[in-house]
Amino acid sequence: MTLLLELKNTAVHYGKVEATRDISIKVLEGDIVTLIGANGAGKSTTLRMISGLVRPSSGEVLFEGNSITHLPPEEITGIGIAHIPEGRRVFPQMTVMENLEMGAYLRKDPKEVARNIELVFSHFKRLKERVNQAAGTMSGGEQQMLAMGRALMSSPRLILMDEPSLGLSPIMCQEIARIIKQIHAHGSTIVLVEQNARLALALADYGYVLETGDVALEGKAEDLREDDEVRKTYLGM
Amino acid sequence: MGFETFVQTFANALVLGSIYAMVAVGLALAFGVMQMANFSHGELFMAGAYVVYVLYSLVGLPFLVAVVAAFPIVALIGMLFERVLFRPTRGNVLSGFMATAGAGFIMQVLVGQQWGVGLMRSVVVPYKGSAEILGAAISWQRLVIIPATIIMVGGLWFFLKKVKAGKGLRACAQDPEAAVLQGISLNKMTSLAMLLSGGFAGVSGALMAPIIPVTPYMGHVYGVTAFIVVIVGGMASIEGAVLAAFILGFIHTFISTVYDSVTATMVGVLFMAIVLVVKPTGLLGNVKV
Repeated sequence: MTLLLELKNTAVHYGKVEATRDISIKVLEGDIVTLIGANGAGKSTTLRMISGLVRPSSGEVLFEGNSITHLPPEEITGIGIAHIPEGRRVFPQMTVMENLEMGAYLRKDPKEVARNIELVFSHFKRLKERVNQAAGTMSGGEQQMLAMGRALMSSPRLILMDEPSLGLSPIMCQEIARIIKQIHAHGSTIVLVEQNARLALALADYGYVLETGDVALEGKAEDLREDDEVRKTYLGM
Repeated sequence: MGFETFVQTFANALVLGSIYAMVAVGLALAFGVMQMANFSHGELFMAGAYVVYVLYSLVGLPFLVAVVAAFPIVALIGMLFERVLFRPTRGNVLSGFMATAGAGFIMQVLVGQQWGVGLMRSVVVPYKGSAEILGAAISWQRLVIIPATIIMVGGLWFFLKKVKAGKGLRACAQDPEAAVLQGISLNKMTSLAMLLSGGFAGVSGALMAPIIPVTPYMGHVYGVTAFIVVIVGGMASIEGAVLAAFILGFIHTFISTVYDSVTATMVGVLFMAIVLVVKPTGLLGNVKV
């Protein structure tokens, strides 16, 4: 397996406040890697740093061996990293179709865009029925599907998902989990940030446990599931 | 009010509403995409009038050519403002206010130094005569503003709804961070927003140049009015700005015909106050660009 993404000792500061201290992460091509941890552990910050929305104050981000540490976010999207932000962040007054078109903003070939739209509709049947509906009028689960579909429109090599299950009903969580598996089976590499550690470890190949800006623990997801500390703190067992 | 006076006033209100709409949509667009208010918008309007003064009155080019030229010329000024005023102050509303208000004064002084101060810069009316509509006489010079507005605002609507870059502008207005994550460059979009905003203000000023006195300070009242229109309409809403422009155009024209223009201005501001009390987000405040 080739190394797709690597974070080397990255730290992020918001002004003087330290958000992450020393995070090193490796993501192999084809894997689902999860970051779990409590609120404020630095999970979202790490994703925002990978996609260029915040700059690391030290350390390096490598994608396919090349440093992307100082690329602007729109170029990071262009090289094949899609970020599904926390809270879905669909364009509320644009239709489902327009949202998907925005996901393909950097694509030049209309045929490829049309093919991606078909792919998105094959994952999310519900979106197809609502192409002309304003995104802001849909339910949370539907908006999550749209946010995922929008990310797929750029044909990303790596997808960053921030709390996809947040605020969704248990049934909708299962549906989202099923779709994540399906997208993964389609060949995408995924970095999944989740507060729902049970869901995350069930989906992931490898996991990192973040605590107050540091990696506290890492390992194969099946090993983490059996780890006493993880079971007690994050799985409530 | 007799029927003829009513028709006359109605037509005047349509013309005034059109001009308000054309000036205000640019302000609303810029605010929507940048979340920054341009306090030199009135001076962009003034710059458009001076394009007509120079190209039509001094150089002798056809009026239509001068009006069309006002779009790219003032659009360039708008882009320049984006690059040197808004981009460095992005996210800091107060700095943006100071920088653009200052730029407005600088433009007034530069224009005054070049072409003089005072009311002597009148532009000879190119479209003479007037149309007889239901017994009322409406000058061609004012009447052409209505189709011009329909073309310009309709064109903007088409651009925002059907063209990829226009949809990118709407995406930036609705969620700039999510837009960036789709690969949309915020810098390109703010530049495009100010290009359009300047172009619209420029054409508005160009069309008004033969109708109102051309002075370095002529933009002030239109800038302030554009702000009132945009606040009533809902700040970042193009549809809201158009709606508010016509409401205020009608209020102002009818009241100044029946009473006087001071009363009309007071009622216009009162209307704004009432809208803000009843619906603080403006008439269509939930609609972004």
